[in-house]
Amino acid sequence: MRFKSHLRWSRYACPGLLVLSALLCWESCKTVRPWQRSYLNDDAMQIGKRPLEKFSTNVHTYREAASGGGKAKGSGGCGCN
Amino acid sequence: MKRKYLVFGVLAAGSFWSAAQSPTDSLYGKRKVSKTDIQLVYSQYIQNGNHSAITGGTGTEKLLVYSPDLTITHQIDSAHGYAINAGVDIITSASLDNIDFVMSSASRVSKHGFIDLSYTQGFRNSRLRLTPSGYFSIESAYLSQGLGLSLESQNKEKTRIFSADIQTFFDDLRWGRLNGERPLKLVYPVELRYKQWFSAYLRQSYNLTLEWQQTLNRRMILGIFPGFAYQHGLLATPYHRVYFTDSTEKVENLPPDRWKIPLGIQLNSFVGTHYILEAYYRFYWDNFGIWAHTLELGLGIKTSASLTLTPILRLYTQTAARSFRPYREHDPSEKYYTSNYDLAAFQSYEVALEARISGAGHTGPGTIFKECSFRYSYYHRTDGLDSHILTLLTGVSHRPKPASISAF
Repeated sequence: MRFKSHLRWSRYACPGLLVLSALLCWESCKTVRPWQRSYLNDDAMQIGKRPLEKFSTNVHTYREAASGGGKAKGSGGCGCN
Repeated sequence: MKRKYLVFGVLAAGSFWSAAQSPTDSLYGKRKVSKTDIQLVYSQYIQNGNHSAITGGTGTEKLLVYSPDLTITHQIDSAHGYAINAGVDIITSASLDNIDFVMSSASRVSKHGFIDLSYTQGFRNSRLRLTPSGYFSIESAYLSQGLGLSLESQNKEKTRIFSADIQTFFDDLRWGRLNGERPLKLVYPVELRYKQWFSAYLRQSYNLTLEWQQTLNRRMILGIFPGFAYQHGLLATPYHRVYFTDSTEKVENLPPDRWKIPLGIQLNSFVGTHYILEAYYRFYWDNFGIWAHTLELGLGIKTSASLTLTPILRLYTQTAARSFRPYREHDPSEKYYTSNYDLAAFQSYEVALEARISGAGHTGPGTIFKECSFRYSYYHRTDGLDSHILTLLTGVSHRPKPASISAF
């Protein structure tokens, strides 16, 4: 019983702590001038869906219950989960 | 059905509104920077397992998929562009044979085709981009039509991006479109065709994905992706069997509504001058009773100016849906039941290696090689399912001769 309540707490705590740390990072962000963007403009630094990963992402949508959340495909359009 | 028309109306109104804005925007200097990118992707998928939902959570899950995919992106000028993505999946599945228990033939071959169209309209003065899109997909077991609308906004310094993406899909799960069988109907396992198990054959999906991307400093980008998805209609697959403790057999049955809440966070960091660390975490919950966590770590290693190698590790865990029980463990009194192991409790890991060769930074007119990439990954699920995924990508870019500047 005690373990179960701990598990339930950790389910909420994991995303909560991540969002909190993300917000703290946010607060510490600095202004970046256009000529300082050489690292940021690198292809590998881009956030979002990448064509090379698209097929693997679709496999995850079929073989796992979870979907969405930025990197992954959303629900529907595939007759799958 | 009314909801479908409402969504279509909103999207159409959005498109007209965007078209109405363009003459005003052209005053702000719509530059002719026309460019066409062509990207060809080929993927191959080999799967093996022993928990097929078609045979009630037991039996072969052998699967082979060949998947060519083409994307053409045309940038008309700095404010307008469109993209076309089309592809085919050729699927050889041993378990599909078991809908009819066809044992003598080679495994059944199924085909899946799709096309995805989108148009982007940018508004220079407000730094907004609006992208309506349409989607069509067909396979023997279903037909899907979708509409989408994406709105993206960027701050003046280009360090913060906010976007909202709405997608709707209308799936029809009747069988027979590609093999000419008429009338179209839901297909049940051969021994369960003595009655119609479902009156509904449609499934609607509504997805909302928000994205908040922030440049933290010269070497770090953070992205947060909250989302919400709602599905309604026939969510069960009509040719999935379920066996009960009293040895009776039925077609899988799942609740008609499903809500999903994913929350993804990604942090990309450039470390030193040669390494890029990518960290991604996703939390997921749905009203079927599933909780899931995904962690993905990648380390991009720039071995030269044009070659990047990226080893990737992905870890995933999920709890089982309330309606899931393994083969012959369902109680006959249950309202909803499935033995589909995609809804079971399991952990999975995936190890992958990506290699990317990028073209030189040539920006003049003509057709140039843009990139050639390769990705191999091995995926393992703790219920025994294994798969190998191979993807090859090649891309070229074409720019016409120096263009005029239309509005100056």
